[in-house]
Amino acid sequence: MRTSVNSPRAIGLILLLLGAAGLLVAIIYSSSVPALISLGLIFWGIIISYIQSEEYVKKTILNSTSTTLLTALDETLRSLDYRGKAIYLPPKYLNDPQSTKVYIPKLQNGTLPSPDATQKLEMQPTQKDAQGILVTPPGAELARLLETELGTSLLRIGLKDLPQRLPKTLIENLEIVTNCDIQTSTNSITGKSPDAQTSQNAIFVKFNTPIYKDTCKRATQLSTIYSNIGCPLSSALAIAFAKATGKPITIKTQSTSEDGSTNETEFAIVEEPTT
Amino acid sequence: MNPVFPLNLWDVSLILAVTAIILLVTSEILSPYYGTTNLKINKKRLKNSAITTSILFLVTVAIRIATMIYGMS
Repeated sequence: MRTSVNSPRAIGLILLLLGAAGLLVAIIYSSSVPALISLGLIFWGIIISYIQSEEYVKKTILNSTSTTLLTALDETLRSLDYRGKAIYLPPKYLNDPQSTKVYIPKLQNGTLPSPDATQKLEMQPTQKDAQGILVTPPGAELARLLETELGTSLLRIGLKDLPQRLPKTLIENLEIVTNCDIQTSTNSITGKSPDAQTSQNAIFVKFNTPIYKDTCKRATQLSTIYSNIGCPLSSALAIAFAKATGKPITIKTQSTSEDGSTNETEFAIVEEPTT
Repeated sequence: MNPVFPLNLWDVSLILAVTAIILLVTSEILSPYYGTTNLKINKKRLKNSAITTSILFLVTVAIRIATMIYGMS
């Protein structure tokens, strides 16, 4: 049976043993030069043992598996004829606050139902009078991973803190983007009566992803995915915004560069139905 | 022959300083902000090691300063 050798651990152990032996010789002969060398070996032995390589997967494997799932989702939605704009739901619209769902209306100009209706739909997904469908978005697990790396739930981070914390996690911890810029804007539109005052909230995100570029490029060819559900990364960002704001989110516009690496997305906060 | 550890605190401090500089420079070069690197290493742990070694070096410096101050009085 072939056993795999953990090379960094083996190198670290060899350096540690050499260092320990050298230190023993240095103490016996009271020599400072071998002591310095062996102390250095011990330090590097400990460091190499501690800094082990992470588990990596080839980008081609990641792309081929994720694009297949996106294509399957696109084909399913097209065959079921769901034409509406996908709406990322905040936890209050779902039975389990930890779960993530996207609501896709049946009709092109379909609106968002009430939280009670979506909770009912989640319990009975096959109900006949349903005006839409609840789907787990492609970025659901990525959003969960974001929460793990952030060390807190996205529900506890407000939209104010998210533009500072999210890019740092995406760049430094997950290393899936090389740069990420998040800008929020609130434009108040005041009507004639005080009740007519509404606010149009938009979140602009620009990111550069060498990891997901092929997946994002493939997503541009899928009609129900692109500018609707979004590529896995846009989807994860939409989930993050829905949780942080506590309001439904849609992908308003999305533009991807020719090679798929640069992506500019505008997310909109959906006005909730008045009960 | 009485076995004696042949290094003093200053020697250990020197090793720690050199190691800290190497680790800090490496962790900065491998930073994702610097560009995409192909080195398959746990960068978070590398950064932690660099910071720990730097703190250890500063501790040895603090001990040395304390010895100088309290040794005089």
